[in-house]
Amino acid sequence: MTSSTTITPEQVAEAQETWKGQNVPRKEDRRLVQGQGVFVDDVKRHGMGYLHFVRSPYAHAHITSIDVSAAEAHPSVYGTLTGEEVAALTDPFFQLASVPGANVKDYALAVGKVRYVGEPVVAVVAETREAARDASELVEVEFEPLDAITDARHAQDDGVPTIHEDAGGNLMWHGTYEWGDLDAAFAEADKIVKIDELHFHRFNSTPLECDGALVEYNRGMGQWTITTNNQFPGFAIIMMGPAMKVGLDKLRFVTQDIGGGFGNKITSHPQLVACCLLARKLNRPVQWTEWRTDFHLSMSHGNERWFHETEVAVKNDGTLLGFRTKALDDAGAYLRYEPLGGVIWAQVTPGMYKWKHIRVDFTQVATNKAPVSPNRGYSRMQHLWFTERMIDIVAHELDLDPVEIRKRNYVRVEDMPYTTPNGCVYDSGDYARMLDLALGLIDYQNVAKRRSEAATRGKLLGVGIGSTLDSGTNNFAQSQLINPELQFSGNNEVATVKLDIFGEIVVTLGTTPQGQGHETTAAQVVADILKCSVDDVFVRAGHDSYWNSHAGFSGTYASQFAVTGLSAVKGATEMLRDEIFKLAGAVFGGVPAEALELADGGIRIKESPEAFLPFMACGAIINANNAGLPEDLGVTLNCRYVYRPPFEVPDVEKKYGNLTLTYATQIHAAVIEIDPETGYYEIVDYAAVDDCGKRINPQIVEGQVMGATAQALGAATHEQFVYDEDGNLLTPNFYDYHVPHALDMPPLNTGAIESPSPFTPLGTKGMGEGGGAGIHAVCSAVQDALRNHGGALVYDSCNPYHRVWEMLNDPSQGARVEVTG
Amino acid sequence: MNVSGERTFDAPRDAVWKVLNDPASMAKTMPGVESFDVHDDRRWTANVKIPLGLGGLKMKVDMEKVEERAPEHAALSIKGKGVGAMMSMQTSFDLSDADGAGTLMKWAADVKIAGPVGSMGQRVIQPIVNQQVSHVLAALEREVQNAAAG
Repeated sequence: MTSSTTITPEQVAEAQETWKGQNVPRKEDRRLVQGQGVFVDDVKRHGMGYLHFVRSPYAHAHITSIDVSAAEAHPSVYGTLTGEEVAALTDPFFQLASVPGANVKDYALAVGKVRYVGEPVVAVVAETREAARDASELVEVEFEPLDAITDARHAQDDGVPTIHEDAGGNLMWHGTYEWGDLDAAFAEADKIVKIDELHFHRFNSTPLECDGALVEYNRGMGQWTITTNNQFPGFAIIMMGPAMKVGLDKLRFVTQDIGGGFGNKITSHPQLVACCLLARKLNRPVQWTEWRTDFHLSMSHGNERWFHETEVAVKNDGTLLGFRTKALDDAGAYLRYEPLGGVIWAQVTPGMYKWKHIRVDFTQVATNKAPVSPNRGYSRMQHLWFTERMIDIVAHELDLDPVEIRKRNYVRVEDMPYTTPNGCVYDSGDYARMLDLALGLIDYQNVAKRRSEAATRGKLLGVGIGSTLDSGTNNFAQSQLINPELQFSGNNEVATVKLDIFGEIVVTLGTTPQGQGHETTAAQVVADILKCSVDDVFVRAGHDSYWNSHAGFSGTYASQFAVTGLSAVKGATEMLRDEIFKLAGAVFGGVPAEALELADGGIRIKESPEAFLPFMACGAIINANNAGLPEDLGVTLNCRYVYRPPFEVPDVEKKYGNLTLTYATQIHAAVIEIDPETGYYEIVDYAAVDDCGKRINPQIVEGQVMGATAQALGAATHEQFVYDEDGNLLTPNFYDYHVPHALDMPPLNTGAIESPSPFTPLGTKGMGEGGGAGIHAVCSAVQDALRNHGGALVYDSCNPYHRVWEMLNDPSQGARVEVTG
Repeated sequence: MNVSGERTFDAPRDAVWKVLNDPASMAKTMPGVESFDVHDDRRWTANVKIPLGLGGLKMKVDMEKVEERAPEHAALSIKGKGVGAMMSMQTSFDLSDADGAGTLMKWAADVKIAGPVGSMGQRVIQPIVNQQVSHVLAALEREVQNAAAG
C-alpha cells in the first residue's frame, strides 16, 4: 500500500499566481499513457539490420580464435564485426584516469582478452532480431580461461591475475584526501571508535527500457545519425569522436522518449561505436536493443565500495571531531566513467555534519566484473551511507541517542551557506527541521509503546534514520583532482526559445529527459516570463545534437536540470521577452519598454491596452513581413542562451574548492518489524522528507522522491549483483534480482520543505537522486531492532532476510568495532 | 572450482593406468556419452548429454592429454561447449602403489563452467559436479576390475 502526505510548511504565496510551484499536469503524459511515445526501439528504417552481441561466458580469458564464417554463411546474416576489426578501425577510448588507469585499453569489442562475463566479443547483424540471436550461436570463439579476481580486497595481492597488463596491475587510481588537523582532532577526542570494515554493495537501478540505438550512416557526408537512449550525449560524443577518428559533428545524437536512465545509460559509447562501425561496413541502418540479461551482465553497475580501518574522533557529549578511513572502490573490468567516482563523493565529504578533520585514502581497483558507472546517487550515496553508518555505530557504542547525536552535529540553518572542510559550499537547508518532520510522519513519539506492542506479537521493532545530500550541478573541474591533466571545468546547458511565424513559442532543450518532465517544467518557466499559458508553450520532446541547444555538457544526469536546464530556459526566454518589447516598441512607433507589458499572449501599451500586438503578429512581422523595420532593430525572436554556473577551478594540490552548486537534502525514517525466527522483516512505517529548494512542479518532485525511495528499499533489502569466485554473475535477470513492485512498497509518507538556493537563478536545486537516504534508514532500523537482541552492528548496505537472521544468531557477523580512549 | 580426491583400486598399477589411458575404456566411465571419436593417442572428442534439468545439457567435449609419465602421472585438458554452457577442465591424476596392495590414485580437477548454466552458481553446480565425479569413479572402479580380471 502506498499513501502519501505532503506537508509543505512554506507555501509560497506567489505560487498561486504563477505557473511555477503548481502541479501542472505533465505535458508528456498524454502521449505516454496513450502508447504514443517514441522510444528507441520504436524507430524503424527501411532495410535495417538487427545487431546481437556474442558475449563472453568467461570472467577472464584469452581469446585464442574467432571464426565468424558459419554465422556469415547464415542466409539472414548481413555481416559481423570482431574485436580485431575494431582495433584496426578505432583507437582505444580516451581514459579519464591518470596513470596507471590511464594505460587501460578499452575498445568497443573485446580485443585479445575478455575481462568480465557478458563482455561483447563479436557483433552479428541479421535481417531479424531472432536471426541475429540464432546466428550468434554460430560464431566460434575459442577461449583460454584465466583465473578471475572478483573481490576488490584481494585485487592487489601477490600472485593474483592482472586484468589490464598495460596498467601493470589491478590498481586503477589512488588518491589521498586530507583536510583539517587529524592529529589534533584525535588528541582532543574523548573516545575513538574504530570500525574494521564496512561494505556498500554492488547494484544498479533498472530502467524499464534497456539500452539501445538505431544507427544510420550517411556515406556521402561521412556522418552518423545515432538515435539512442544514451542520457549524456555530450560525454558519449567526446568519447566516440576521437576513438573513431572523426569530428564531433559527424556524430548526430537524437532521441525522443527514454524509459528511465538513472546514470546507467551514460556509458553505452562502446556499444554505440560497434553499431556505427557496422552501419558503415554493411551500408545499412543497424538497430541494437539490449536484452534484460545483457543489461544486468554488462551495463553500468553501481560502485561497490569498502571502508577499512575507519576511526572516528568523538567527544563524550557526542560532538564529532573527525574521521579517517581507507575507501576501496571496485570499478569492475573497465574505466568507462571512472575513476570519477574517486572524487564525486568529495562533493559531500562531511555529509550533513560539522566534522572538521577528515582523511580519506581512496583506492580504486579493477576486478573481473561488469564495469561500473554512475547510478542514481553516484559515489555520494556510498559515502553518505558511510557517514550515516559511522553516526549510528558511534551512537550505539557510546550509548547516545541517534536523533540527538545527529542534531548535535548537523550543519545548522544559521550556518548556511556552509563551507565544508574541503571548500564545497552547502547553499541552504534546515536539516534539524527536516528530521523532526520525518520523525513526526512515522509517529516517533510513540516508538517505545509500539516496540512493546510489537514484542507481544514476537516481533522486534526498530527505527532508523538515513540522509543524503543530493549535490547537483557539477563543477567538472573536479575531474582535475583525479587527473590534473584533464581540461574540463565548469558546466553548461543550453536552451533556445523562439517565436515562430504563427506565434508559436517553441523551446528546445539540450537535455535528454528520461521521465523527469522537462517539457512541463520548462513550459512553466517560460509561461511565467511571457505571461502566457503553459498550453501556449511547445517544448520539443527529446534531444537532437543538431539542434542549436547542444553544448559540451548537455544531457540529463547528476541532478541538475532544475538549475542548468531551467536557468538556460529562463535566460533564453528573458532574451526573447526583451526582443518582443523592442519589436513592439518599434511597431507602436517608438514606445519605450517601460510603457509596455506582456499579457494574454501578446504585448500591449499599459496606458492604452487596446494597442495590443499578439505574439502571432510579432512572429509574423519578424519572420515574414519585415519590410520597413528599422535596420538596427537587432531582433530575431530566436534566442539562444547558455547557462554557465559560477565556478572556479579548485586547488588541485589541496583538493580544495567548490565542486557542486546546490545541495538538495533528503531525510528518510523507517520503522521495521523483524521476525526473529526467520530474519524476515517488514517496513511498517516510512517517511521521506525532501528539500530541493523552490519546486517548479511539486508533484514531479514527489514522483522523484517516491522513485528514489523505491530504489533505496530495493537496494536495502534485495537488489544485489552477486558474483561467484569464477566471476559468474548469479543475479543476471529479474528472476534472481528482485526489484520492488508496487505491492512491495511500504506505506509511504512524504514531506517537503523549501530552502531556496541563493546561488541559482530560480532558487531551485537539482534533485532526484536521494535514494541513499532510504538505504541507510533500513540499515539503521535493523541495527536498532537488534540492539537488545545480540546488538550486532550493521556492516553492509544490503540486508536481505538471511543476513538479518545471521546477525541475530551470531552477532559477531556484524561490524567489528572497538572503542578506545 | 577445484575438486580433488583419492581412490584406492584393488588392482595393479598397470591395469589402472591402462584404463585411464584407453579412450574407449574412459568413454565408458563418463556420464551420458552418446558418441566418442578418437583422433589420435592424445586427442579425443565425445558428445555427451549431462543430466541437468529438463532434457539434459548436450555438450561436445574435446579432450587432450597434455602430460604423460607412465605409469604414474597424466594430465588432461578438457573443453566442452554446448548451448547455455561452456566447460573448461584441467585434470590430472597420479598413481602410486597403495599401502598393502592395490593402486592409489590421487586426482584433482579445476573445473570452470561458464555461460547461463554457470550463472546458476557454485551452490547449484557443485553438488552436480560432485555427483558426476562419484559416478565416474564408480564406473572407473568397474572398468579397472574388468581390466584386472581380463
